[in-house]
Amino acid sequence: MSKHCKIDLACENISKHFSGFTAVDNVSFTIPKGSFFSILGPSGCGKTTLLRMLAGFESPSSGDILIKQQSMLDVPPNKRPVNMVFQHLALFPTMNVEQNIGYGLRRQGVAKAEITERVAAVLARVGLADSGKKRVEQLSGGQRQRIALARCLVLNPTLLLLDEPLGALDLKLREQMKIELKSLQKEFGTTFVYITHDQSEALVMSDQIAVMNKGKFEQVGTPHQLYYQPETAFVAGFVGDSNRWHGTIISVDDSSLMLKTDDGLSFRAKVAVEQKLEKGAKVEVFVRPEAINVSRTAHSEDDNQLTCTVQTLLFDGANSQIIALEPNSGGKITVAMPQTSDFVDLKTGDQLFLNWSAAQTLGFLVESENLVSAVGA
Amino acid sequence: MGNLGANARLKLGLWLLLMPLGLWLLLLIILPHFELLIFSITDPEDGAFTFEFYFEFFTEPLYWRTFLRTAVMSILATILTLIIAFPVAFYIAKMLKGRSKGIVFAMCLIPFWVSELVRTFGWMILLRESGVISNFLQWSGLAAGPVELLYTDATIMLGLVYSSMLFMVVPLVSTLDSLDDSYIEAGYDLGGTNWNVIREIVIPHAIPGIVSGCIIVFMLSLGNYLTPVLLGGKDSLWFTEQIYTQFITRFNWEQGSAFGLLLLVLSSLIVWLGLKASGQSFTKTMG
Repeated sequence: MSKHCKIDLACENISKHFSGFTAVDNVSFTIPKGSFFSILGPSGCGKTTLLRMLAGFESPSSGDILIKQQSMLDVPPNKRPVNMVFQHLALFPTMNVEQNIGYGLRRQGVAKAEITERVAAVLARVGLADSGKKRVEQLSGGQRQRIALARCLVLNPTLLLLDEPLGALDLKLREQMKIELKSLQKEFGTTFVYITHDQSEALVMSDQIAVMNKGKFEQVGTPHQLYYQPETAFVAGFVGDSNRWHGTIISVDDSSLMLKTDDGLSFRAKVAVEQKLEKGAKVEVFVRPEAINVSRTAHSEDDNQLTCTVQTLLFDGANSQIIALEPNSGGKITVAMPQTSDFVDLKTGDQLFLNWSAAQTLGFLVESENLVSAVGA
Repeated sequence: MGNLGANARLKLGLWLLLMPLGLWLLLLIILPHFELLIFSITDPEDGAFTFEFYFEFFTEPLYWRTFLRTAVMSILATILTLIIAFPVAFYIAKMLKGRSKGIVFAMCLIPFWVSELVRTFGWMILLRESGVISNFLQWSGLAAGPVELLYTDATIMLGLVYSSMLFMVVPLVSTLDSLDDSYIEAGYDLGGTNWNVIREIVIPHAIPGIVSGCIIVFMLSLGNYLTPVLLGGKDSLWFTEQIYTQFITRFNWEQGSAFGLLLLVLSSLIVWLGLKASGQSFTKTMG
């Protein structure tokens, strides 16, 4: 029982069908109290519909939503212990900052003096103590974010829902707000449910991430698990950058397998989880650019070695990449450019020796259209 | 030099484009009103300057009381129209989507393709002593004899509200359309009831539409002639009737001109007071 009390939200087999398609397909999950939970997925994957069901703006076709063990199915949005930060924030333009934040408190019938006090307190906590009298349009993008958060947090909701609130900000501000959001979440201790299509937002801020695709959760785990141990090809491809090939298994032994990609590269991948991989099976293979060791002299201690020439250099400061060509097969591979003095004068046509371990080569069996079982780790 | 020539041509083009508007204003608005002004301050006997026609309005109770009655009835008609039109506009703008939205909006519009005269006669067919409603009441046994529903203030009010409904619905629909649904959802999400959301979020947003709709409806009601005369009969006592009487029946153009100008000035004054009272400015409402 004590374990149950720590669960703020539980969704049990919820589905949402619209005429002609299924937006959310039999999704179940629980969110522990005080955690930052993200739902990550491409646009149209059903994450917004899921969030709107939690807020109460849509009702599930089947399944149940429990907040603190209470079913929310018959509770209208204005009675749920849930508040939402909207995609475009929806700060009321006809009210000033104080009135915006006080709106929810006025609805609860809180006394005027206490409203003033609590609004001032929450403004101070989000670092905008002197902005109470300002109009919404006088605030910068980042300040509006904080006001939208304050407007919800002042009500002490059990659950705070965030619908891609950082989408409208420019890159620099978005990076800054990620850190700010995370620290505000820690400070207030409120359970956040954050939906986004931006994997970097999810990875940086979340305690747990659910990767959603076509109405279903592909995998739920910590950012670390999703990045290093993706369970499906979709997760491997969606979270982080990867080299991605289609290939065929050449041979299988106890601990590893050999495969050949369609454009002619040969790799060794380590067998880690139980699977039915046979010679000749079609696989999809993922290798992260930063997992590949690049050097200008030959090594031979790793499972996979390639001798390549530099075809293209993509300069992007610390995130610069090299597209290398394997001359014998014509296959291409993207690797992260090491930021050491060795590679400062790297130019097109230079020879490079690439090597990486089988453990960092993730293969997923292609079963007709479906991508299922996982290989490697 | 070449630049200057281009600029001059641009200026000429601008003036030509503004010409129709300028002519319209000058010939149809400014000149007639100027003429009215001259008429109203000229003694017809010796052509001397006089204010007697304006004094007449304030000293003869029939005239200023008629104006007062017209103004009060028009304000009442405006308020009633707003109360009826707001839910209609909200339904069209926020509840309906896609095709049905267009259809319902068109249904509001279609009655206005028919002339106001025909629409008013339609009401007379319904409401007169030998009309549809009277006959129905007698047939169903609810009334013993013929019922006259015409020629009362309530009938005038009905006609005014009906004929100005569209002019309230259109500006309201366009302002409510511009209210993003997320504001309404946020209103509920933060704990608001229907009434809270309407009062604190929808109405403040719709104020410009409400004010411009009210100005149009008020001006149309005040200046209406057909509806009060046909539905109100001889005793309707509408100010526009006084103007008509002065010009046509009594052939007193000087008095009629003075009334015409007074109608313009006094109604503008009422609109200005209304804007002041609601804390709006004319430019904000029209922009």
